[in-house]
Amino acid sequence: MTRHLPAILFLLPLGLAICLPLIGIKHREWCRPLSIGVLAAMVPVSFANLVGVLQNGTIQYDFGGWAAPVGIEWVADGLASVMTVALSLVGLVCITFLSSVLFPYLGSRIVPFYTLVLLLIASLTGMVFAGDLFNLFVFLEVSALCAYALVGLAGGKALVAGFRYLILGTFGASLYLLGVGYLYAETGTLNMADLAQRVPSLVASKAFAVGVLFMFIGLGIKMALVPLHGWLPDAYTYAPDRVSPMLASLVTKVALYGWIRIMFWVLGAQAVVYQIRLLVLVGILGALAALVGAFLALSQVEIKRMFAYGGLSHIGLVLVGISLGNQTGFVGGVFYLLNDAVMQAGLFFWAGGIIHLYGVRNIEDLSRLHGGAGWMSVALVVLALSMIGIPPTGGFFGKWYIILGAVDSRNYLAIVSVLIATLLTLAYFIKLFERIFRDRSAPQPPLTREVPLAVRISLGATSVAVILLGVMSDHIIRFLLNTAVPPGL
Amino acid sequence: MKQMHDSLIVQTMSRLLIPLAQLFSLYVLFFGQYGPGGGFVAGVIWTTSMILTFLVYGLKSPQGRLVELVLHGDGVGLIIFVGVGGLCLIGGGEFLNYANLEILGMDAPSRRYVGILLTQIGVAVDVAVTGISIVLSLAYHDTEQEYDV
Repeated sequence: MTRHLPAILFLLPLGLAICLPLIGIKHREWCRPLSIGVLAAMVPVSFANLVGVLQNGTIQYDFGGWAAPVGIEWVADGLASVMTVALSLVGLVCITFLSSVLFPYLGSRIVPFYTLVLLLIASLTGMVFAGDLFNLFVFLEVSALCAYALVGLAGGKALVAGFRYLILGTFGASLYLLGVGYLYAETGTLNMADLAQRVPSLVASKAFAVGVLFMFIGLGIKMALVPLHGWLPDAYTYAPDRVSPMLASLVTKVALYGWIRIMFWVLGAQAVVYQIRLLVLVGILGALAALVGAFLALSQVEIKRMFAYGGLSHIGLVLVGISLGNQTGFVGGVFYLLNDAVMQAGLFFWAGGIIHLYGVRNIEDLSRLHGGAGWMSVALVVLALSMIGIPPTGGFFGKWYIILGAVDSRNYLAIVSVLIATLLTLAYFIKLFERIFRDRSAPQPPLTREVPLAVRISLGATSVAVILLGVMSDHIIRFLLNTAVPPGL
Repeated sequence: MKQMHDSLIVQTMSRLLIPLAQLFSLYVLFFGQYGPGGGFVAGVIWTTSMILTFLVYGLKSPQGRLVELVLHGDGVGLIIFVGVGGLCLIGGGEFLNYANLEILGMDAPSRRYVGILLTQIGVAVDVAVTGISIVLSLAYHDTEQEYDV
């Protein structure tokens, strides 16, 4: 039975997503509990899958019973299984937040809304398991289509932002597909394991180099790597407040995971494109992204936009970590990726909650809280500690292992970029705290409203999770070192 | 184009063409098992017949009502597809491994035949519904309340 768990994990949200339009004709109010139920069911299944992979080794799942190079294959190895555990846990928390009473009533749109959310989760699961470049593209597109629709749901400015996301995202997906086409023309195969065997003979080929670069730029747009990030800040700022946590924490991270999968499992850690080591290129771009993202976050006035830019800088940090060329750095990067998914979700929960409880969108208006929003402020402090990287939280240990890896490989650019990004992160959070706790100039009396249960649960879960990730970081890092390190590193 | 088309020639010709197109789509669907064709093409052909229906007879006519009714089958095609795949999974094989489709009194080749046919039907239904809903949402944007899916 454990053999089938990857497929079951994917079919759970997909099955409900396609049944919801029929259920929704009669029982609109069932959408919410059913969705939460399915996500809750995904958590034990993903854990069972992880345990199965640890005991019996990598699961190679052949769809339709056709063996790998011919058929479509899913690969559930250590890294993919860890990612799906994170995906289902963060997805569950996000979907709990979706159902908060805070947000305006969706009416009949609730059925397509939950269908899209479930399809998004299903396609992200598919991307994590895909063992085939084209299959990865298909799920990338399904998740992107859901994300465009979810961004545009709010109407008004969100429609423009969603449309821009659609144009740029489609451009990225086309580039990726073109790159896959080049690789297919050179090798005659799309299966990742099969490609990996044929790649070493292609190092001198120009078509291979162009294909790899196209794939990188395509996925770069999807993961919003800094020179290619134009769509992200608007999309996350104007997206419905209940949706942006899910988008921010999952969509770009899984695209980044897709690139990790291709770079290490297909191209190999030593891949060279036109005399440039791919790892060096990715490392420099990552360092740039880490600095520029954090710098731009510092100059924002809107809370959600600031967090969106903060996310860009973290994508850069993960790339810095994985591109160091040693196990410590890679594991640090992956650990930071997991942390970042949790932190981004938490920050956007906070932003959504603040907007709807207190009507505060801009950092300036935060002084209206007068430090009064006790519960929310504590959660923000915990998340900020992790974003900045202060010891008891997960963010610190992620950065710590990235720096350890950088010291090992004597990559001083990486160390400097991580440290400066940390300082900039500290600066923009100080900007927030200054407004919340010090600024008493606002004339209005402090607004106090009861924080709804769903917001408490989701914010509390993410705050506890960043501390847990920090406390258990030693175990998780050792676990990742044993199970999730790519070959040849 | 919400009214019925008033030309007798158009109406008579489409009365002839619509069933023919639908018959041809079924032929493509079943022939797709062994030759070129299959669910996707069959679905597209079926869509064109449906589009012709509501272009000529309008959405208010009994034929047009049928088109609207079809829209509610949005997920049905996928349900068939995933259902067949899931039955294979329950039968002990991989997802969509038709040899494990548990149907009593059938040997492996005919199981595969039935399995592929059913998934193709699922694909055809979904392609047809998607095509119609694209055309409807492009053509009748101002009155979207009527087609609230």
